[in-house]
Amino acid sequence: MEPVTMAKAINLSLRDALAGDEQVLVFGEDVGTLGGVFRITDGLQKTFGVDRVFDTPLAESTIIGIAVGLALRGFRPVPEIQFDGFVYSAFDQIVSHVAKYRNRSGISMPITIRIPFGGHIGAVEHHSESPEAYFTHTAGLKVVAPATPGDAYALLRSAIADPDPVIFFEPKARYYMKEEINPSLEVPIGSARVAREGSGATVIAYGPTVSLALDAASAAEKENISLEVIDLRSLSPLDMPTILASLQKTHRAVVVHEAPVFGGFGGEIAARISDDGFDLLEAPVARVGGMDAPYPPSRYEKLYLPDVDRILEAVDVALAYG
Amino acid sequence: MADVVQVVGTDDPVRPLFTAAGELKADARSGLGLDAAALRDLYKKMILIRRADQEALNLQRQGELGLWGQYLGQEAIHVGAVAALEPNDWIFPSYREFGMAMCRGVDPAEMLTWFRGLSHGPWDPRKYAFAPLAVPVATQVPHAVGFAMGSRLRGSDDVVLGTFGDGATSKGDWHEAMNFAGVFKAPVILLCQNNHWAISVPLAKQTAGSIAERAPGYGFPGIRIDGNDVLGVFAAVRAAAERARRGDGPYLIEAMTYRMGAHTSSDDPTRYRLDSELQTWSAKDPIARYRSWLQGQGHLDDAAAAAIDRAADTMAEQMRSRLRAAVPAPAGEAIFDRVYERPPGPFIEEREEFEASLEGT
Amino acid sequence: MADQTFRLPDLGEGLTEAQLVTWRVQEGGHVEVNEPLCDVETAKAVVVIPSPWAGTIQKLHARPGESVAVGSALVTIAAEGAPAAVEPRPAEGVEATPSTLVGYGAGAGPQAGSRRRARVAPSAPQAGSDVRAAPFVRQLAKEKGIDLARLTGSGPGGRITRADVEGAASPPAAAAPAPEPTPTDGERRISVVGIRKAIARQMVRSVSTIPQFTEFAVFDATNLLAARERQKQSGRSLTPLPYFIVALVKAVRAFPLMNSSWDEARDEIVVKQPINLGIAVNTSQGLLVPVLRGADQLDLSAIADQSARLIEGARAGTLKPGEMSGGTITITNVGASGPVETGTPIISPPECCVVAFGAIKPRPMVIDGEVVARSGAWISISVDHRIVDGALATEFLTALVGELEHLHA
Repeated sequence: MEPVTMAKAINLSLRDALAGDEQVLVFGEDVGTLGGVFRITDGLQKTFGVDRVFDTPLAESTIIGIAVGLALRGFRPVPEIQFDGFVYSAFDQIVSHVAKYRNRSGISMPITIRIPFGGHIGAVEHHSESPEAYFTHTAGLKVVAPATPGDAYALLRSAIADPDPVIFFEPKARYYMKEEINPSLEVPIGSARVAREGSGATVIAYGPTVSLALDAASAAEKENISLEVIDLRSLSPLDMPTILASLQKTHRAVVVHEAPVFGGFGGEIAARISDDGFDLLEAPVARVGGMDAPYPPSRYEKLYLPDVDRILEAVDVALAYG
Repeated sequence: MADVVQVVGTDDPVRPLFTAAGELKADARSGLGLDAAALRDLYKKMILIRRADQEALNLQRQGELGLWGQYLGQEAIHVGAVAALEPNDWIFPSYREFGMAMCRGVDPAEMLTWFRGLSHGPWDPRKYAFAPLAVPVATQVPHAVGFAMGSRLRGSDDVVLGTFGDGATSKGDWHEAMNFAGVFKAPVILLCQNNHWAISVPLAKQTAGSIAERAPGYGFPGIRIDGNDVLGVFAAVRAAAERARRGDGPYLIEAMTYRMGAHTSSDDPTRYRLDSELQTWSAKDPIARYRSWLQGQGHLDDAAAAAIDRAADTMAEQMRSRLRAAVPAPAGEAIFDRVYERPPGPFIEEREEFEASLEGT
Repeated sequence: MADQTFRLPDLGEGLTEAQLVTWRVQEGGHVEVNEPLCDVETAKAVVVIPSPWAGTIQKLHARPGESVAVGSALVTIAAEGAPAAVEPRPAEGVEATPSTLVGYGAGAGPQAGSRRRARVAPSAPQAGSDVRAAPFVRQLAKEKGIDLARLTGSGPGGRITRADVEGAASPPAAAAPAPEPTPTDGERRISVVGIRKAIARQMVRSVSTIPQFTEFAVFDATNLLAARERQKQSGRSLTPLPYFIVALVKAVRAFPLMNSSWDEARDEIVVKQPINLGIAVNTSQGLLVPVLRGADQLDLSAIADQSARLIEGARAGTLKPGEMSGGTITITNVGASGPVETGTPIISPPECCVVAFGAIKPRPMVIDGEVVARSGAWISISVDHRIVDGALATEFLTALVGELEHLHA
């Protein structure tokens, strides 16, 4: 198979899901005729018709609200939230209903909410946010974020097939990353992968920061520092066994995400490591992330977001602990 | 799926049944096709759900329930609307619709375990086509619309009733859902129980306009009717449902009523409303009105009325004793059982640890 | 027929009490189920309480006007054919008697201790519990049977590294264990553990690895006391310590070598950028040295706040290990009261300099050729001769005295 972009891989995954299960519905703002502002749903309406792939009015809360109603009616809705910064108006529907409906009714909500997230695209305000921690904090949801085209394809298949609601975060800065994908490979929700093996310290990343972590590992190699990189893929549930297995080797961990560090998902990882792997640690778990400031105007985003240097700095500090 | 927005008002089968004041016209009342038994049954249901309401309040005062939200005065809407639907037409309630749930056959004692702190959803919504309660105001309206869109996609002729209060019409979810309903021509009846009060805020402070008249702005008709007339509610919902079943889309009914009780058992309405207002509405009590109409029609004699009262007493006693006997589910089950269909490993571990921590207590 | 006592329920989501307004029944009277018993006023509303049972009123437990706590007895009824309170079968983990939500008020909760499990027994305090080593290094030492307190850390701040443990695990020739000493008459053996042991190790390391010398000076504290007085009038009394720190930081900025360390392995002097000031604190456990980080970035008031917090924390034993490490220069005091004027402080390795202040008190000074009584105090500094020679030390001490005498804060 020719290498494909992540955008195309997600498109193929939606296409295969729509073809494989006629209960699957794709809807949201501009996803039909236009094929989505990122062209992720390009051509789907043409193939599957206006009943299964449709444009909605511009109202995030009710895009998710009708997904609940459609799920009750037996469909598998795959709504799209156009940009990370627009999900907030749907927060009540996601937290109060998508996440809790099964708990009050016994009826599952096989809803997959796709949200392009993260920065690095030079966008205007509200288009570069990393809201994942709001959702990992909500019981009843599953939260995933692929970092590669292959994982994007496979994880989305798993998400749509899952009987429970899944928030699917797409790293929009990696939409045009290319690789060959194998549609027959399965990636179950809840499984991390070791993206690069190493021995000196473990860099834990997800979504857009995985390739950054790999760049940092290549740079560190030149200084004879060996970094292992873990791509979490799934934030909730979190694959602790893979993290702990890595720490058995390295004894040091650096977590990298674009979201602000304070109250960020990295805090949960650090806490879990101190719970389950205290005796493995030779250094405190370091966190590298966005500043505790609102996402800046795009001219400043490269300074705000974690970069290779900030990852390596954190690695240096971790390694300095004897 | 989106169709061209329809022309408003060309196909309104509800409005001709009502006077301009929202009263059911005499010929429409006599043309409902309900026989004496069916008419009596509406009465009986109103008596039963009012008795259950009163018993639930007593149970709350006796410490058996953590909270109770009365629907006293709104029985005509609860009974009339449910009677006008087919059993498989889903209803999406807010949180004051226990009367509606009872009319759908949900066991009142089981329902009350919600207020007893034993369950977030005591009944299987699929069994009764009755969705779980929705506490965040107006959030159920998009669900009703989505479900109706699904019915349409399925090619099914079932319709959906989404019900809410006057306060809900202030919320974004309500407007968004109205808009979706219009755009997708969803087979949904949007039933506003305008009881004049959202906790302590009166209708005049809730909205400056007419709720019913908002519907045309969303591309479908709406009407304000007397919500204390069970036959009026029945007639409006049935006509709106038939219209939706035909594929003509949504309909908004604003049923004017009055919350004669407090917002909930924790509330004190004397702090914000005048007794005179309550007196005015007591005179329009839906049950008293309907009883005298039935008697006038010769459909309800004293013996029949007494039998219905006795049935209500029996129901209340059973409700009380069955509620007290309700067996709480084990804590592990109550807390964890219904969260995920496919629970993740760490979630299962937490449950196991929790359950192990309970052993021997 | 059984006497049943009805207790005041929580009538409104988290209430804890209600005031009895009036009884609608009397003792000896008969009541039906749901017949009104009484009116009570809660924080939210006045409500009528209906009787849960039918029967004869045996006892009214409260008088009108009285406050009744949620869960307290309200009325006892000889209940007719009472379904002796249908007690549901208790389920695992759910309160055994949920037949009424009485006592469900905000104040009530599961009895503390009812579910508490035997906790992992805390291990006896170990020798060298103040040792600085990462969890994994401790684990490794435990596995290899090595007492971390016996090791000298080679990592930053004396931190024991994995390499230290691995090195100790395979010593070239294991020293024979010291024979058990036999106590003789007239002596008492005090086992040395914890902080005492750490101090001992640190001091041995200092005097055995750092060639240090000490210089002394006296400074005129008139301006310092005047500055304190001004501060006091603006509403805040400070000890002399924050002023000493401000002056010291200024002097160190002018003499950065004082804020450095000697890198034995590489024969290099490492000049430190931030001034992390160790403050020697005498505690009941022994000498502790909390570190005021980035003292060069703080103003007088922040220095006062943070040093006070650190000193208090050291005394209370609440400081985290991270707050007692990473110092670059240390300040101590000698003879806060009494006749002692000064002493020769010992450097805290790997630092270069330690400064000791004596007590400020009136002493004779020669001002413009006249002997006058002025407030003053001794300062002594000990410095690492590998880094600093006598001349530089003298210049530094002179500068420090100058800063102290010209304080205007």
